[in-house]
Amino acid sequence: MITLVADIIQAEALGTLGATLAGGATYWMPEQASEVAPKIDWLFEFINVICYIFFGAILILTVGFSIAYRRRKRVHQDKSATHHTALEVTWTIVPLLIVIVMFYMGMTGYMYLDTVPENAYEVRVNGQVWSWTFQHPNGAVEGNQVTLPMDRPVQFIMTSSDVLHAVFIPAFRVKNDVVPGRYRTLWFTATKPGEYQLMCAEYCGKGHSDMLARVFVLPEEEFQIEIARLAQEYMDLPTEALGYYAADKLYPRCASCHTVNGDPGTGPSFKGLWERTQAGEQKFTNGATLSQLQKQGDGFYDPAMGGVQNYLRESILYPQKLINEGYGPVMPSFKGQLKERQVDALIMMIRELETYFEPDGSFKPQPENTTPAEGAAGTEEATTPKQDGGSPEA
Amino acid sequence: MTTIPVPPSQPVTPELARDNYLTYTRGIWSWLFTLDHKRIGVMYLCGVLSMFFVGGIFALLVRTQLLTPEGAVFNDNANYNRAFTLHGAIMVFLVIIPSVPAALGNFVLPIMLGAKDVAFPRLNLFSFWLWMAGAVFFILVLVNVDGGLDTGWTFYTPYSTTDGMAFGGVLWAVIGVFILGFSSIFTGMNFIVTIHRLRPPGMTWFRMPLFLWALYATALIQVLATPVLGITVALLFMERLFGMGFFNPALGGDPVLYQHFFWFYSHPAVYIMILPAMGIISELISVHSHKHIFGYRFIAFSSIAIAVFGFLVWGHHMFTSGQSQLINVIFSAITFSVSIPSAIKVFNWLATLYRGSISLNTPMLYALGFIVIFAIGGLTGLHLGTLATDIHLHDTYFVVAHFHYVMMGSALIAMIGGMHHWWPKMTGRMYNENWGRFGFALVFIGFNVTFFTQFALGSQGMPRRYATYNGMVLTDLYHLYHVISTIGSYILALGFFVTAGYLLHSIFAGKRAPDNPWGGRSLEWQCTSPPPHDNFKEAPTVGDCYDYSVLEWDESQQGYKWREDIERPGNPHVSGKDGHA
Amino acid sequence: MTQVPMEHDHHEAGLHGHDVHDAHHDHPKELGHHWDNLNQQFEAGKLGMWLFLATEILLFGGLFCGYAIWRGNHPDIFAYGSQFLSVKWGAINTCVLLLSSMTMAMGVTMAQRGNKPGLIICLVLTLLGAFGFLGIKYVEYSHKFHEGLLPGIAFYEKPSDSHIWVEIEEQAGDQQETSIATDVAESKEEAELQMARADLPVMPAAEATTNEPAAIGPSGLNQSRVVQEEETYRVFYKEGRIAAQEDQAAMAEYAEHPEEAMRELEKHPLQDPDRPPNAQKFFTIYFLMTGLHGIHVVVGVIVILWLIYLTFRGRFSPHYYTPVDCGGLYWHVVDLIWIFLFPLFYLI
Repeated sequence: MITLVADIIQAEALGTLGATLAGGATYWMPEQASEVAPKIDWLFEFINVICYIFFGAILILTVGFSIAYRRRKRVHQDKSATHHTALEVTWTIVPLLIVIVMFYMGMTGYMYLDTVPENAYEVRVNGQVWSWTFQHPNGAVEGNQVTLPMDRPVQFIMTSSDVLHAVFIPAFRVKNDVVPGRYRTLWFTATKPGEYQLMCAEYCGKGHSDMLARVFVLPEEEFQIEIARLAQEYMDLPTEALGYYAADKLYPRCASCHTVNGDPGTGPSFKGLWERTQAGEQKFTNGATLSQLQKQGDGFYDPAMGGVQNYLRESILYPQKLINEGYGPVMPSFKGQLKERQVDALIMMIRELETYFEPDGSFKPQPENTTPAEGAAGTEEATTPKQDGGSPEA
Repeated sequence: MTTIPVPPSQPVTPELARDNYLTYTRGIWSWLFTLDHKRIGVMYLCGVLSMFFVGGIFALLVRTQLLTPEGAVFNDNANYNRAFTLHGAIMVFLVIIPSVPAALGNFVLPIMLGAKDVAFPRLNLFSFWLWMAGAVFFILVLVNVDGGLDTGWTFYTPYSTTDGMAFGGVLWAVIGVFILGFSSIFTGMNFIVTIHRLRPPGMTWFRMPLFLWALYATALIQVLATPVLGITVALLFMERLFGMGFFNPALGGDPVLYQHFFWFYSHPAVYIMILPAMGIISELISVHSHKHIFGYRFIAFSSIAIAVFGFLVWGHHMFTSGQSQLINVIFSAITFSVSIPSAIKVFNWLATLYRGSISLNTPMLYALGFIVIFAIGGLTGLHLGTLATDIHLHDTYFVVAHFHYVMMGSALIAMIGGMHHWWPKMTGRMYNENWGRFGFALVFIGFNVTFFTQFALGSQGMPRRYATYNGMVLTDLYHLYHVISTIGSYILALGFFVTAGYLLHSIFAGKRAPDNPWGGRSLEWQCTSPPPHDNFKEAPTVGDCYDYSVLEWDESQQGYKWREDIERPGNPHVSGKDGHA
Repeated sequence: MTQVPMEHDHHEAGLHGHDVHDAHHDHPKELGHHWDNLNQQFEAGKLGMWLFLATEILLFGGLFCGYAIWRGNHPDIFAYGSQFLSVKWGAINTCVLLLSSMTMAMGVTMAQRGNKPGLIICLVLTLLGAFGFLGIKYVEYSHKFHEGLLPGIAFYEKPSDSHIWVEIEEQAGDQQETSIATDVAESKEEAELQMARADLPVMPAAEATTNEPAAIGPSGLNQSRVVQEEETYRVFYKEGRIAAQEDQAAMAEYAEHPEEAMRELEKHPLQDPDRPPNAQKFFTIYFLMTGLHGIHVVVGVIVILWLIYLTFRGRFSPHYYTPVDCGGLYWHVVDLIWIFLFPLFYLI
């Protein structure tokens, strides 16, 4: 921590002189990773300099007067002027001129930030409590992380499924609220490959501080390869690898509410969920229990007829239909956010939780020997046992 | 609340023992149902300070939680959310808004004006009771009725109106806010009518102390802005309870409309907090440097200008919320215009210090501290008013630091300074000056350590209202800043405990206060300490309230008194000196 | 407006009792200890009242703003909604309120003249006007409630005869090819199951939202959680399963007179194909604004009752009638707000 302090002192000393540390980080500002960041930082430092001048003057006068004119006699007979119109008009006009300049620079900068260039790379962003979904034009969908090209304008087209959120990427100096019921946009051109932080900046409840995502910026060629891989990622996976895929890539979006080690959360823990569902232990807020429902009707929930899968699938896509007693109707629907194969993957993950997670809840990677080569298709015939009921087709 | 016993054996003046507002009548009911503005002011002060204590506890919980990236206090983020929400809501609605106008204003305004009471004493008592009722609702929320309140003090929709998202305590809280709003409206009405109709002969508008100008501007905002808050929270209530759909996109409503409604009140509310604080500073600076305030009219009109501009800038809270480009640009421009009258005040205060006789006693230290802190708070407002930089800084700790510098470092520090200034008048006792200076030093240092750090924390990207900050790219950096900030908050808390300690001690064991310990010239320093029940037997006649040449030191009283060779006000024949203003 | 005599009434005795601190023995009992004379007090009272009325106007101002924004964005909703309001009753109510305002103004004149019986008659007439207004408002409101013209989400709640709604649901389901048999008694079980299985519920309520993308959000990707809740929870369970089981008797009754019941239902705007999206917004703002106004009328009733009581006690005189004047101002503002509400909702 002491080295960090030293770093900061050094950064401050440099930053105020207009110099920068590696990556453009200063005492005030984080690393610069977008085309607009240096412009914003320049404006910020410009305002800083004006503030330093004014604050320095105010501080010196306050302290100086307090010392120079400290009380010497009980009674003070002062005959100096009680007002001076020319002086007062001066210190009205001068700040006015300064803020007009500041306003103009801020306005032009903002207009630039708010005007999306044509043919930007469009990513559809959806915020919901408490995770992010990013959808690429080629159909690839990423959760809580997004892969983006370098040196090309990127536009986020954003909306929310529930409450207000805000996309904030400090390294790019961009932010915009995500509002239900309307589209909002955000654009930037990343200039450096690397990993950057995206966070939710509009308070959205219990998981607000967990609503984070990573932005991966790749040079164009690498990006093209990666985005093609992402589009096919789970389609090409052999079925036995799907559970690992779900645990690694999909579960982080569930993790803000559902634990895998039995700890309480906003939603029921996944630990033992399969067994509870088989036994029909769930009690719902409408008074029904799952065991009742299992015996009713045409066996939609009957474990012998794939009812467990039916229940879990329904809970992911229509979470408001049956709400477990003791929990709020908080879960957003993942219909449209997850493909059928991803839902299958999640159900597989829940069924054999111990295979994919350590007891403390951390991810257990797939053993090396069974790791499929990237893009290896054709192993999909291998069906897992117990999948008797079959996952329902939409 | 008990009356403070004054031993009849040693009255400072013959009048004191017979008639002062503290001993005029006795018993708790004589306080709770009093119509005396001074007692109502003192009761407000007690209420506000106890709520400040509660809000402060929550502030310390919030700061302590952020000592570690994983959260050092609360296992459940929801509890952290409750804590910061209650901190904000209590501090804004129950502490800062009523602190200066309702507590100090009630006590000082009629005496300064030369009136015997406010225009509507019953309404005044009623608004105090409304404040109490509002506080009860917040206490209900505090004990987690319906799960408590976790929406943030802004109650943003659709989070606050969605069942299953925000806890049901939001319903109770908005009832409380509605009631407190009316308390504030009635206080404002009372002050406006008092200043219009109860000025004694000779008290022209431009002879009024600047504190009264500030209270007048504040009262205008209270009367004109608070009803909109009332209807906003009423709509929120209906929306949550009956699904009215005003702010719900699923029913054709608009969540951003709520923000417009809310900030239409809540931005002017910022000026309800800061304007009277500026008024106090104008008094303190002038009295404690024994020098005529510089540029009286500029200061007076800048208060009115701030009140007027304050109504036109609410959109700067919503630069990233989904307003059109044009509206953002317009709001940014008007926002800058509000910085000008604030700058005028600061320069005028500095000019007042010039060639003064500056006494570095506790109230003056708070006033000087105010100038420094308000300069930082005001100047960082420039970063936020500038559109391009605000996009990056919006909803980060930079904003948190900025409004703490303005609301707490300025408004509350001025309130505490004013409390020290009028403490001898209110209680009839002097506090210990050295302890006072020590307390100020702790508060000033603690405050700056706590909140200056947060500027950098915010510009480095730490968003506000985060219960934890682990697993981020810059977690280590944020951790360091949070630790420094938390340490600062402990120093600040210690400063407040020291202050509370010596002030309480002074009530029971402080030296008797002279009528005019500082050499103030406005009318409250011409009645006894504490003032008599009726303030003035006859409406006094008034001169220039910043002309200190009429006072001289009285060794026997250890205070100031009128020069023998100049006639006192209260006498219809005013001395010729007081003619100009 | 009026001049109050400056001289005090020295013969008014009973100086004690009103307050503990009356140092001035020439104070009339109505005069607060901190005032110089009755005129000053009267002027201050009026100024205070005007300020209070300004806050009242601003309180309504928020709602008028909401009205302007909504109407500007969706004129069709307001054109559609206003046809459900009765201009006749609205006009009668306007007249009643205007007349009561007149009697109130006459009352103030009576008070100035010291005409106690006249004042009481005027106040009682005003009170009758207030009750008349509230009575007519009650008739209008209950009519709306009966027809299901309710504010907010309640607009999409079915009227109490839920058995009929199950029917409508099933027919709607038919159209969407979920193969629900037409026979009520035998197909009910099956229909429920089909509905429970269907990905998108088929319901008038759901139709109100799913057919209108604007109401849900920009794309199917982001269905609002609230809408979902409406669609799935309420629709599937409350209406589809539980209500149908509980309403066996009602179902039987429906089976006897199906046409009558259906005819009644078709009158509901939910069945109206020409209904603009989010038609409930009109009723939301209508109930909020007239409701808030109604609350003010109720407060006015209390104020007038209190004035009548004070008049009987002989508290008013040509020298002191501030409460009557202020009460009158309040009543005129309540009247004034209605003068704006009537054309905004009923006429344009």
